[in-house]
Amino acid sequence: MTSGTTTVPRWRVVRDRRAAASFWRREPGPLPRLVIAVGAVAIVLAAWWLATRPDGPIPPLFLPPPGDVAEAFVRLLSRPYLGNTLLQHVGASLSIVLGGWLLAGVVGLPLGIAMGWSQRARWIVFPVFQLLRPVPPLAWIPLAIYWFGIGSPARMFVVFIAAVVPWVMNAIQAVYSIDRLLVQAALTLGASDRQILTRVVCRTALPTLVAGARVALGNAWTTLVAAELIAATAGLGYIALNASRTLETGILLVAMAVIGLLGALFSSGMQLVTRLVAPWARDRATP
Amino acid sequence: MPAPSNAKMNVSGVSKTFRTRRGDVAALARCDLAIGKGEFVTVVGPSGCGKSTLMMIAAGLEPPTTGDILVDGRPAGPPGPQRSVVFQRFALFPSETVTQNIEFGLRVAGLDRAERASRVDEQLELMGLVQFRHAYPHELSGGMQQRVAIARALVVRPEILLMDEPFGALDAQTRTVLQEEVSRLRRVMNYTVMFITHSVEEAVYLGDRVVVMTSRPGRIKKEIAIPRDAAWRGLEIAEASNYADFIAYKRDIWNLVRAELVRA
Amino acid sequence: MSVPGERLDWRAIGTASQPVAWGAAALGVLLGAWLLATTVTGIVPRNVLPSPVELIARFATLVVEPFSGSTLEGHALASLTRWVIGVGAAIGLGVPIGIVLAWLPPCRAAFTPIFEVLRYIPPFAWVPIAVLWLGASTTTQALIVFIAAFPVCVINTQLGVAHVDRILLFAAQSLGSGPLRMLARVVLPVAAPFVFTGVRIAFSNGWMALVGAELVVGKQGLGFLISQGQANDSVATILVGMVTIGVIGSIIDVVLQRMQRRLLPWQPASAHSGTGRR
Repeated sequence: MTSGTTTVPRWRVVRDRRAAASFWRREPGPLPRLVIAVGAVAIVLAAWWLATRPDGPIPPLFLPPPGDVAEAFVRLLSRPYLGNTLLQHVGASLSIVLGGWLLAGVVGLPLGIAMGWSQRARWIVFPVFQLLRPVPPLAWIPLAIYWFGIGSPARMFVVFIAAVVPWVMNAIQAVYSIDRLLVQAALTLGASDRQILTRVVCRTALPTLVAGARVALGNAWTTLVAAELIAATAGLGYIALNASRTLETGILLVAMAVIGLLGALFSSGMQLVTRLVAPWARDRATP
Repeated sequence: MPAPSNAKMNVSGVSKTFRTRRGDVAALARCDLAIGKGEFVTVVGPSGCGKSTLMMIAAGLEPPTTGDILVDGRPAGPPGPQRSVVFQRFALFPSETVTQNIEFGLRVAGLDRAERASRVDEQLELMGLVQFRHAYPHELSGGMQQRVAIARALVVRPEILLMDEPFGALDAQTRTVLQEEVSRLRRVMNYTVMFITHSVEEAVYLGDRVVVMTSRPGRIKKEIAIPRDAAWRGLEIAEASNYADFIAYKRDIWNLVRAELVRA
Repeated sequence: MSVPGERLDWRAIGTASQPVAWGAAALGVLLGAWLLATTVTGIVPRNVLPSPVELIARFATLVVEPFSGSTLEGHALASLTRWVIGVGAAIGLGVPIGIVLAWLPPCRAAFTPIFEVLRYIPPFAWVPIAVLWLGASTTTQALIVFIAAFPVCVINTQLGVAHVDRILLFAAQSLGSGPLRMLARVVLPVAAPFVFTGVRIAFSNGWMALVGAELVVGKQGLGFLISQGQANDSVATILVGMVTIGVIGSIIDVVLQRMQRRLLPWQPASAHSGTGRR
């Protein structure tokens, strides 16, 4: 600054950089984004169709053409497969998943709240919890089969185990997250115990609780699918298992798609619940 | 006030309109500002008047909707060390030590190790950071971090230094200390500076020329020159506050800003 | 009136010895009850739950004698190998993709719809089709591990890069940095804690999926071990397998946590140790 020269090399071409960023760094608007998304999906579908044509490289056993998969879907909807229609299978899966999830909530929520609230409870229960936690829910399946045999109780048990952990952990976190300052502020404003409980505690804890419920549902679903693949007489996983054994790849893919779809529905459903119940909070669940 | 033709930096006809989901927001109305070489220009205005936006445009980090930034009479081009910036929130790279942070611009410029080391040492001495050279930003206090940021901006020997409310995130005591230090540095080295602030006292204490902006959309309302050889220059703020002309400048400028506050 | 605020004094936790004492006491009580129920009183029959002594004996046996093809270490090693391969591939592919997705919005627009559709299919649901494609081999299981670990790597990396404070990018720009240098020296180091957390979750997800896959497919591995235990009506084997699975999973997680603390000494950008899919 004492003289006009700088030591920055002037070899860099000075362009008029009016645009804030190049095309690749700029966020596309909603319409371009839609176009790109549709285009990408179209490309994938086209590649799929091309590769699975009769003279194509991929045999139908490996990956059936899109048309066959659509056909299989229609077939499953209308005719029973392995004793039940598609909807009945879905119902069977849903009943276990929701049953196990709710049971886990009934047990896990109060337990978690108690642990978050009371130091003693936490000291006592947590070590036991931490010992059992590392064992993956799927690893409980053989034990469940051993104890309960192949059937609904075994599957519900495993789903319960998978779901109870997030319920508890998030309930603890929810109670933790209550800012002591808020409680004190409420006290200075003359709130009674009950008012504090409902208006301060529940309100601040609710988002995390719902987040826990959401993770629990996700866990429950993935565990159920596994359980059904191993030990079931009905349900989506059962369809998938059988289809793979009988080499009906089309049906297998349909089953996978429905499984994925339901998982996505659960996830968005819970996100909607979060927004309804606690519109002021940001989602704190981990992926 | 320098004539636009021999100014170091020229903000020429610059305006800025942001396009948001709720429609267009005019942040800056047409602004013209000339900064001469070696001048310390401070910009004050009510909150939200767009002074930070003006600085970002001057730095090349934000494109203007109309108008241009000229340095030495030519369009300024992409952001770079010729117009280095000190941000309000320090913006230190958290994964790099103090030395590495200060060195950053020099590495970009491709200087060799010896040259880098000597320049960094010079800055460390100047800003009183020698004992912190290997510390990480999160280990330093706010004031220290801002010193590092200033060192980082100065080590590249910018043609013009842009400072966006650099002391806004600091507590009052640290702020006073740093203001006095900037004033001292200024007297030693003749930097060309554009300094954004919301504090009228700071603007008067540090500036050769105080530019007052209107409320949003911001325009340049008035420019007030403050003589460099005023009696209170170089004193601590506490002492300077006893001088009648200092008080007068503060009062006048504050009245200008306050009139805008009411309107905001 | 007892003040509710008083009970919320978790921050005033006493010395470490107290919680440890309570926890140890609780575990002790549980252990004692287990012992009593299975051996002394015989309330719980042997074939439902073996006594702790039996369990330890079984553990010792398995370490020495092969069961269903390998000893305990043999099975564990087989599982670990597949795990490392699968997660390694997921990181090697997922992290760069995550960076690209965060850095180049058009790529994100193209990739995300397909990704989101496939992501909701649980890894285990891929087992039948993986078997169809690759047979019942190690590659199949490594693929399942990959499918389980891949999404987390992509998502966490993407989040990490996207969360880098814009002001740091401005600072780098104002010092003349080009985009490549910004990416390498500013964005990636700042995103690293997020990425690492993703890696940890990926390891944990992969382990869980692997166990599941091994229940159904393959002739070696800890999952195989416990399913064989069930087939042979040996509860003790099942439990030994479960414990080993749990222990290995925890050890790896702790190791990764330590690594994170050592490698990234600067402040993590609000990266939580997620609860993942446990």
